[in-house]
Amino acid sequence: MTLLSVENLRVTFPSDHGPVEVVRGLSFTLGRERLGIVGESGSGKSMTGRAVMGLVAPPGRVTADRLEFEGRDLRSLPEREFRALRGPRMSMVLQDPRYSLNPVIRIGAQIEEALAVHGNLTAKDRRTRMLDALNAVRIDDPERVARLYPHEVSGGMGQRVMIAMMVVLEPALMIADEPTSALDVSVRGQVLDILDDLVKRRGMGLMLISHDLNMVARWCDRILVMYRGEVVEELGAGALHQAQHPYTRGLIASLPRLDETRDRLPVLDRSLL
Amino acid sequence: MIPTAWLLSDDPETRWQARLGQGYRLSRALLRNPLSVVGLSIIIALLLVAAFAPWLAPFSAVEGDLADRLQPPSAVHWMGTDELGRDILSRVIYGARITLGIVLLVAVIAAPLGLLIGTVAGYFGGWIDRVLMGLTDIFLSLPRLILALAFVAALGPGIENAVIAIAITAWPVYARIARAEVLTFRNAEFLDAVRMQDASSVRIIALHVMPLCLSSTIVRVTLDMAGIILTAAGLGFLGLGAQPPLPEWGAMISRGRDFILDQWWVATMPGFAIVVVSLGFCLFGDGLRDVLDPKQRGRG
Amino acid sequence: MISVRDLSVRFGETTVLHSVSFDVAKGESFALLGESGSGKSTILKALSGQVTDWTGALQIADTVLRPGHRARLARTVQMVFQDPFGSLHPRRTLDDTLSEPLAIHGQPDRDKRVLAMLDAVGLPRRFRFRLPHQLSGGQRQRVAIARALMLDPPVLLLDEPTSALDVSVQAEILNLLKSLQEEKGLTFLLVTHDLPVVSFMCDRLAILRAGRIEEMADVAALRAARLESDYGQELIRRSQHG
Repeated sequence: MTLLSVENLRVTFPSDHGPVEVVRGLSFTLGRERLGIVGESGSGKSMTGRAVMGLVAPPGRVTADRLEFEGRDLRSLPEREFRALRGPRMSMVLQDPRYSLNPVIRIGAQIEEALAVHGNLTAKDRRTRMLDALNAVRIDDPERVARLYPHEVSGGMGQRVMIAMMVVLEPALMIADEPTSALDVSVRGQVLDILDDLVKRRGMGLMLISHDLNMVARWCDRILVMYRGEVVEELGAGALHQAQHPYTRGLIASLPRLDETRDRLPVLDRSLL
Repeated sequence: MIPTAWLLSDDPETRWQARLGQGYRLSRALLRNPLSVVGLSIIIALLLVAAFAPWLAPFSAVEGDLADRLQPPSAVHWMGTDELGRDILSRVIYGARITLGIVLLVAVIAAPLGLLIGTVAGYFGGWIDRVLMGLTDIFLSLPRLILALAFVAALGPGIENAVIAIAITAWPVYARIARAEVLTFRNAEFLDAVRMQDASSVRIIALHVMPLCLSSTIVRVTLDMAGIILTAAGLGFLGLGAQPPLPEWGAMISRGRDFILDQWWVATMPGFAIVVVSLGFCLFGDGLRDVLDPKQRGRG
Repeated sequence: MISVRDLSVRFGETTVLHSVSFDVAKGESFALLGESGSGKSTILKALSGQVTDWTGALQIADTVLRPGHRARLARTVQMVFQDPFGSLHPRRTLDDTLSEPLAIHGQPDRDKRVLAMLDAVGLPRRFRFRLPHQLSGGQRQRVAIARALMLDPPVLLLDEPTSALDVSVQAEILNLLKSLQEEKGLTFLLVTHDLPVVSFMCDRLAILRAGRIEEMADVAALRAARLESDYGQELIRRSQHG
């Protein structure tokens, strides 16, 4: 079932030298699956996520032939209704949890506050659901963590709290923008497992935005490779070695490997692209 | 005429071209804001008036004709005359010199002093910071005009002492701002890098730390100019600043106070001058802040 | 070239390094591998004089470091930092940044040497009077490398020099570092969490965990995925399947 369908998405910013397109005619659909969007800085991958969430700040401009989420046209949606969608139906996890959590409110209270949009829950219900959410992101003693302030937890734990805050509302679509790049490798796996679990058990659609080609390739059902605001290639799960486009191939070649024996790494020749 | 493409080049060939290019970008941004243009025009007008006072003033600033005392504004005396028959327009024009002198002297003394104390405190931290900031807080906790009054009372009235007193009361603000600015980057890696090059602390503070605090200090000084003018006028008004017959604006208002009901122009004209010049510095300072410190834009 | 004996560092109550010892030979590339909190960066800070509160014995080239005392090490050792955005002064042009070490040490021929260094790190000469914000991340990292080499130190400390860069740019910077090392016979001490980068760049490695060295190995063991310690194997597994 299609959750999100995007056709010919464009994001434009004005500059001294006229308008600059950061996303240039992107089209894709997302079902209840893990879609990876990879690209280097400036490829427009983050802007794509923000455009879907309706978070491109002026003077940026978003246009699309089609931008539908759960059958609703996002292009003409008034800001008030959009706000009601964000959180309960679609949510976003960012790179660094430290900037997304309120430093002076206890973690438990922040998650319960996120539930306030549901309105008709009793305080006891809210607390139960908050603890469930912390449990769902594999926090062993949710009671204790709920009492902590954001600065008292590690980066990995903070990211899990962020995800718990998103999950508690059971959104249909989650956009994760570099959710693991601020984390250690050992914690990365756990965070990805949690996201995976949410997709499988709750039937959530996930857009994973990252610069890490290998991680996305290992972990997503489908990958879109972006370069200069366009999708240059779409690949299936684990099919990284079948990449055809010179950009993707160049990227793969320029990554050092564990059994590296090359004296120099091949450098991407941008003039050929 | 220098071509703008040369100024805006991303790849300047010499140090000078790079500096001129930066200056050009800055002034272009500044001139896009109409209010800062108004402020700048007022400041330039003040400078010109002060420089050409002897040619602009129709009469003497210190000698009057007692027969012509307390004349209302007319074709001869545009701003009227005071109780000694002196032409108020001429006095206001000469007064621009005094005001400008006070403002410049205070800025030259207070800003570098505050910048130095603030950067040293912020860079070293520890007990140096505590001592210097303790001192700063003592000065900050006293009302500015009262403190200036106390200093002038101790030093004796007169324009030089007024300048010194105002400068002494003005520096703590700059020290606070500079220190706060330093704290945001004192652990930055670019400072670690120069330290690893064996640079001395003096060199690091002077060449690497201070330049980063300079723009916020300049902005603050410009915004403070209005306050400095008012403090100077206040001291003049209380008879502790410029002494008669010097045409200082505050002292002029003070003299005009006695006739404010019947001869309103005597106090009002120098008052206008103070308001216009203060406004000029404020508008220019606001524009300068937007250009030099974009992250502050839209905040108080 | 670098000798570290029983290095221990404590910050207040917590000990971040527990008597760590290793040696790096001249012209060698040695990697300190570990996750955040393993103490790998603290070793660099002690060697570069940013942390002076340590016990043990440290020596770089002919200079013996003393605890509690900042040695003048500029011509012996320099550092390339992780974040190319935070390691360059935002208001100083490339020319200012690169001539600063020469000015501090009163060395002649600054213009000529700055231009030569721009060539050496592959930056166009026309960039000389640019400010950092006019450069990309990779170009900034080239400037940081150029700055580190201005005084011709025999030892470079590299603190995750490519982890903030795009992969295609990472390849360029790693290639550049390798070429410079061969050309100038530099000794590298590289701190990283990235195993493949170690395979490409280094001759030997030490794996750190919670302030202790778990294992020292030759890079051949890493390439063959045959590290001896359990933790080493775990790192390999995560790197391949993470």
